[in-house]
Amino acid sequence: MVQIKKKKEIDASIPSAGMSDIVFLLLLFFLVSTTIDVDTGIGLFLPEYVPPEEQEFVPLSKDRLAALNINENGDVLLDGEIIAIPQISETLKPRIESKINLPSKRKLVVSVKTDRRTNYNLYIQALDQIKFSYAEVQEAYSQQTYGKKLADLTPEESKIVTREKIPIIISIAEPEQIN
Amino acid sequence: MTFKKKRANSKQEIPTASMPDIIFMLLLFFMVATTLREIDVYVKFKLPEAVAIQKIENKRLISYIWVGKSGKIQLNDNIVKVEDIQEIMYQKRVELPNVIVSLRIDKESDMGIVHDIQQALRKADARRINYSSMLKQ
Repeated sequence: MVQIKKKKEIDASIPSAGMSDIVFLLLLFFLVSTTIDVDTGIGLFLPEYVPPEEQEFVPLSKDRLAALNINENGDVLLDGEIIAIPQISETLKPRIESKINLPSKRKLVVSVKTDRRTNYNLYIQALDQIKFSYAEVQEAYSQQTYGKKLADLTPEESKIVTREKIPIIISIAEPEQIN
Repeated sequence: MTFKKKRANSKQEIPTASMPDIIFMLLLFFMVATTLREIDVYVKFKLPEAVAIQKIENKRLISYIWVGKSGKIQLNDNIVKVEDIQEIMYQKRVELPNVIVSLRIDKESDMGIVHDIQQALRKADARRINYSSMLKQ
């Protein structure tokens, strides 16, 4: 009598050994294509556009205003006096500090005015100096009042420092037309 | 008398069954963090350097404007004229109300072109801008 052989059971599972390899490949692809680098730069809020006929002249007292002019030759004037760009932050710092406890209507306004042919790099250097002096004053104030770095403050505290006490007000004046 | 090494009876392999799961998690992280659309830049530019710079965390909000050495302006994918910026940026601003415009302007440019772009952005009401610059070493 011939014994009928039982058919061998076929293994019905999907081989999963290679799965991790496939996933590794996908992982590598995303690793390579990810761009981690973030955009860095000087942030600014432009003023709202007002048509020339609706523009109003708002008087600004002289001690509130720090007028920075850069002409096409690269000469920099701060309130009418020639200044070197690296000195801007040192000159502005005491002026910002003196206005910390004044109401927001009397804070310092830094006005930057350029010529149409002024070099862009110079403008950025000047703007950088202004931002830098503000950042230093904010940092010092935060250390003095809260004993913490500016970055470690709670959102409420940092709002007080950066919005109420030392707000950064930079006004970008329109270049004068050359006839 | 032979000495028998004392060995625990338990298995001595690291279980690898859950390895794909771990790698999947990594994979998912990178898939979420990736912003795939890279823009080809057609203009040549060299960014200025600055010290007091900030990072922009949210890459999806950024819209780029390049200005090259030759004075060409590229907005996102194509070269545009100054007059067109206002219209395009207005559309963009409607789609994405809190758009940040990152200005990648060559450092040898004149302020005239920068001013024209700023004026167009003001008219389009896309007022949050960023002068892209590198950290000074």
